[in-house]
Amino acid sequence: MTAIDVILRAFLFVIILFVTAKLLGKKHIAQLSLFEYIAGITLGDIAGEVILSSTLKIHHGILGILVFGIISYLADVISLKSKTLRNVIEGTGTVLVEDGKLLEENLKKEHYTIDDFSTLLRQKDVFDLSEVDYAVLEPKGMLSVLLRKENRPLTPKDLNMKMPKEKAPQTIIMDGNIIYDSLKKAGKTAEWLQLELDKLGVTLDNVFLAQVNSYGELAIDIFDDKIKLATPQERPLLLATIKRVQSDLEMFSLQTDNKDAKEMYSRNAKKMTEIQELVKIYLEN
Amino acid sequence: MTVASNVKQMLASLKGIESQLSTFAINSMDEEAQRKFHEAMVMVGEIKNDIQLRVYALEREENEYSSS
Repeated sequence: MTAIDVILRAFLFVIILFVTAKLLGKKHIAQLSLFEYIAGITLGDIAGEVILSSTLKIHHGILGILVFGIISYLADVISLKSKTLRNVIEGTGTVLVEDGKLLEENLKKEHYTIDDFSTLLRQKDVFDLSEVDYAVLEPKGMLSVLLRKENRPLTPKDLNMKMPKEKAPQTIIMDGNIIYDSLKKAGKTAEWLQLELDKLGVTLDNVFLAQVNSYGELAIDIFDDKIKLATPQERPLLLATIKRVQSDLEMFSLQTDNKDAKEMYSRNAKKMTEIQELVKIYLEN
Repeated sequence: MTVASNVKQMLASLKGIESQLSTFAINSMDEEAQRKFHEAMVMVGEIKNDIQLRVYALEREENEYSSS
């Protein structure tokens, strides 16, 4: 067995493992179930052994990987079809806390000590058991925790705040190259992009990253970190202008002696307030 | 500063708001945002017309004072 042999075998098995992992899919990388965990370590072990051993034959190694790959694949297909088999193959979660009460029986059944459980809780940033409403030990040994309502993070919904719907920003320039697919998704053209870049005073090949947000505003990062670029301010500015005009209208309605004009100003001041309410959620932040 | 020039200044602000709203109505990707911006734009347009009429009236009054 020479060094060349090891190199060649290593290359071969990298390719085989890569193809196997690709075919088995993302689920195996995440190793969500017991089975994928076993398959994961065994595939790696077979490859490692065969690469370094002169007595083991290459095709035996390939055969071993193939068998494990096929069994894993079949297990995936079967568990898609049958719920009972899925429970056997992938395992089920164990409820450890229900209605805020720790279920000691289930803890014992999983061979978890109270210290193990506390560690898992702390990893979830929970230090106080009384904050937990419900907790499940997942098949792969992770703990999922549902906190009591009063201990959950505050959301806009809790405050009855209306939030605008926002689309994910599209990355339209990477490393000075335009990503045309994203540009199309954002509903923009190359001409528009050129115009926006001109406005900011940068050329395309100076741009490392550019994203366009839900409001069609462009945010860019350029290669030269010393240069400071203006961030989009149009939306807050627009809101400020609307507020100013609204107060102007109110002031004019107080100042004028003309009865018709007074009525017109105060009517429009009210309308301006309506407009402000209409677009406020989109212009803030 | 006369009253007319103050009102005119506000008219210019209104025009600016209207054009900005129309830009956002076109550029926004969310349909609801587009609709809200458009609605606001139309309303600003109505206010703008009222103020425009007021500006004409004020100009007329000022001309009468200066000519008499």
